[in-house]
Amino acid sequence: MNVAADTGSPSGSSRLTAALRSEYLVLFLCAGLFGGLAPFTPGLASTDNFLGLFGNLAPLLLVALGQTLVLIVGGIDLSVTSIIALTSVVGALVMNRDTGWLAGSGAAAPVAIGVMLVLGGLIGAGNGLAVTKLRMPAFMVTLTALMFFSGLAIWLTQSKNIGNLPTAFTELGSRPALALPLAALIAGLVHLLLERSLYGRWLRACGFNARTAHVSGVPVEAVVIATYVASGVLAAAASVLYTGRLETGSPVLGQRILLDVIGATVLGGTSLFGGKGRVSWTFFGVLFLSLLDNALNLLGLSHFTIMMVKGGVILLAALLDTARTRWFNA
Amino acid sequence: MKKLKAYFCRLLAVLALLTLAGCGKSDTGASGAGTSTAVPASGSLTLGVAFETLQTEYWVAGYEAIKAEAAARGFKVVEAVADNDANRQFEQVRSFITRRVDGIILVPKDASTCLPMIKAANAASIPIVLFNRPAAKSEAKSVAVVADNFALTRTTVDYLIGQAKATGGKRKAMVLIGDLGDINAVGRRDGFDAAVKAAGDSLEVVARVPTEWNQEKAQAGVVNALQANPDISFIFTSSDFLLPGIVSALKGAGKYHRVGEAGHVVLGGFDGDATAWQMLKEGYLDATGVQDVYFEAKQSVQAIVDLRAGKPVAEVILDPGFVIHQGNAKEKAAQMWGANVKRK
Repeated sequence: MNVAADTGSPSGSSRLTAALRSEYLVLFLCAGLFGGLAPFTPGLASTDNFLGLFGNLAPLLLVALGQTLVLIVGGIDLSVTSIIALTSVVGALVMNRDTGWLAGSGAAAPVAIGVMLVLGGLIGAGNGLAVTKLRMPAFMVTLTALMFFSGLAIWLTQSKNIGNLPTAFTELGSRPALALPLAALIAGLVHLLLERSLYGRWLRACGFNARTAHVSGVPVEAVVIATYVASGVLAAAASVLYTGRLETGSPVLGQRILLDVIGATVLGGTSLFGGKGRVSWTFFGVLFLSLLDNALNLLGLSHFTIMMVKGGVILLAALLDTARTRWFNA
Repeated sequence: MKKLKAYFCRLLAVLALLTLAGCGKSDTGASGAGTSTAVPASGSLTLGVAFETLQTEYWVAGYEAIKAEAAARGFKVVEAVADNDANRQFEQVRSFITRRVDGIILVPKDASTCLPMIKAANAASIPIVLFNRPAAKSEAKSVAVVADNFALTRTTVDYLIGQAKATGGKRKAMVLIGDLGDINAVGRRDGFDAAVKAAGDSLEVVARVPTEWNQEKAQAGVVNALQANPDISFIFTSSDFLLPGIVSALKGAGKYHRVGEAGHVVLGGFDGDATAWQMLKEGYLDATGVQDVYFEAKQSVQAIVDLRAGKPVAEVILDPGFVIHQGNAKEKAAQMWGANVKRK
């Protein structure tokens, strides 16, 4: 059907090149996915569905942004899901209305959120210190942190969920009118940090080549530690939204989303090898995965079919990404 | 750009084919059947069935039973499996609501994370039934179809105690207790305790093994208990899925004998899974309390029909279950889900 295009005019092929090289490629894929599936998929284009889709996307975006920063600096943070689980139960222990340390107090929700964010930051700092001061590989540090803190979350609660959280807190996660602007605000801040601040330039410099960055006067260790702290805080912020949505502090919260987090980030175009990544790319990656999940759910496919289609589509997108990098050196 | 468009067209065509190929049975048309008709099963309803996991035989059996029940009434089923992820399950229930299914049958991940799901279904006026696991107390409205854990355990253990008395003497007993955060485990423990209390002096419980529904933990606990009390001759497990660990520990201690053989340890369980059926057939298991999956599936679908028709439905529908034992194994086999699980 596209013989003409294949042998096409120079302007056609250069447009194709431009599109493939464009950083909006994944966004185009999202639009294609949506446009292609909407006619077959009942409710895909409904307002309710958009609210649900973005409500689910918001926390995933926050974790993925943290991951983006860490990947840019040349590391990886596998501990994010354990941070989500641990902060979820600790927050719930602080504020639940049955046995919480601040049960019944009006300050319960804000204090709990503060505790969750600080805890996320502390775990991130631990990861960063181990990576920089002890010179341990980020993969090992964060993998062991993942095991340790996941275990701790379950041990703390004896694998029980903690329900009956204050309404002020659950509203935050369950009302799109609150969760979405909040996530957008945080994403905007991370964008400014990355694109407009000295930290952003340092971050990329460290990711491209830590030694050169060091020689050039970049405080490499401080940058790396700050980046893991940011990842921890962002994971905790995601935990606030997830916990609120489910109205429950759960020690297994987020256990299954690690691949979505890393998959969405890399799908967006952030390099696993450091130095390259943007907030908008990660947003597109997260949007693509969430949209795919949402549409496949709406189609009522069996779980196993969804897994196969999802794997296939991610592979396709990754192939496309590799191809454009190789052919166009994008 | 044209080429890019053409490329996308092809990509989408492939995607669409893939997705359509996988969803032969799911149709886009949610039925608009009237809600106020008193005639059940008028028109074809579409049921959203969301399971937490399909990793154990019990859930697979439950899922198959619901599908069969729906098919028998000419209803369509849209399925979703959350792979142990409560947030994913929430998304799936929302998808059902977006699709405007006529009713939702949910096996929740747990009692509390399902509350926002029930509230969402309530807000959309879609009836929601919890299959085999109840929700925590809240203002959210749902119907739960659950096994009567207490009564069924009590009857099962009564039978086991009867067997023990018949073969004579005072016996020392061990009980495997489930995760006490699970209301089902609490009901079974209490049912066991009630039966033991009623039995008086003929049974002394010398070992209470906490398993937290974990096979390794259970097996280690049984081995330890058998070492500490080699004269244990009565074992009840709160779930049949722990039986393999018990069998292995009994074999290790040289105490694994058929019913009626000398040195037989009276052995009973709960659930009625395929292992229990096998052991029952081979004569090693005395009895097990069977959750009647078919009854629960039927009641779940019926509850949705009734709720749609505006009939009153109890908040909790109890599955009385039944005890299957050496005496009635053949006649009850068809009702025991474990006997109908296809062995892989």
